[in-house]
Amino acid sequence: MDAFWRLIHTMKKDKKNSFNTPEGYFESFNERLMSRLGQDETDASESIIPKTDGFGVPVGYFETIGPTILSKTTTEKGKVIPLRAYRKFYYGAAAVAAVLIIVFGLNWNAKTNPVTFDDLANTEIDAYFEANASELTSYDLAEVVALEDIQLNDMLEEDLNSEHILEYLDENVEDVRDLNLEEIDYE
Amino acid sequence: MIAEETLVQELKDQKSQAKAFEVLVNTYKERLYWHIRRIVLNHDDADDVLQNTFIKVYKNIDGFKGESKLYSWLYRIATNESLTFLKQKSKKLGIGDQELKDRMVENLQADVYFEGDAIQLKLQKALAELPDKQKLVFTMKYFQEMKYEDISEVLETSVGALKASYHLAVKKIEAYLKAD
Repeated sequence: MDAFWRLIHTMKKDKKNSFNTPEGYFESFNERLMSRLGQDETDASESIIPKTDGFGVPVGYFETIGPTILSKTTTEKGKVIPLRAYRKFYYGAAAVAAVLIIVFGLNWNAKTNPVTFDDLANTEIDAYFEANASELTSYDLAEVVALEDIQLNDMLEEDLNSEHILEYLDENVEDVRDLNLEEIDYE
Repeated sequence: MIAEETLVQELKDQKSQAKAFEVLVNTYKERLYWHIRRIVLNHDDADDVLQNTFIKVYKNIDGFKGESKLYSWLYRIATNESLTFLKQKSKKLGIGDQELKDRMVENLQADVYFEGDAIQLKLQKALAELPDKQKLVFTMKYFQEMKYEDISEVLETSVGALKASYHLAVKKIEAYLKAD
């Protein structure tokens, strides 16, 4: 048995293997793979997959859909109404009113405390995410949010302690090599 | 048929825009409809999404830089509109993506605009099991008979990756159809 392990050890150190490939194998690999994948197209005639998918449309649909779309796009942009001279007076009055509101508004706000993130109730934050579905998957998020910036425990209802982690690993990991832990050479 | 570059120029010019847009709608309405229909399955939904797609095209034509072909830009908008539509629908119904897909296929049995037989219905069930991208590649290649190079422009994926996706999709569908 010792001899076997010595052999393995020597093989590992040499980093050589006794297998070989035909000449030009890797150079032509892509081409052969693509031609095999392209074979699907020629095989389609013998496939059990039906040639049509059975969808239908109402009679005359394609004749009427064009005008329907065109009528919607012409109303979408609407007609431009020219500005009239007397409106300038209203704009002046509105500008004065806006300045007054801002001045009083700023003074008013100065007396109150600014709203901080902590003032938001969790339910409001939850409701925001509920109403504004993020396009990001958990994998996307994991790529954009640096793990150092957040503590995992911030996101969990119960704190994650080593007992939980060991329990999880015990139940879910069959082979310790799945963990992709860094290999350490103890020699 | 009008050249694509000319059509784009006319679409951007206020004077010729209305006429050019009519040409655009008439040229692409049927192709885009079938592309959308195969994603949303139901005719009324496909009709809604098709109209939204063209309205979006009309509003954003000035932003079309011509870096990709016009048809691939249209297909991209149609694909995004269809997938967004399904997302909104599942949210409105309070169900997950897969449950929505299963329901959509179940509803086909009562759909007057679905004339498929048992095998075609089973095909839809098989397609509902595929990831979105695989399903898109399969339907664009198999039913819409698009070239890989064109699909590659629409889905912004390499031809090699598309061939692999198509291969996987075909194998999965065949296995599903063969199973009882």
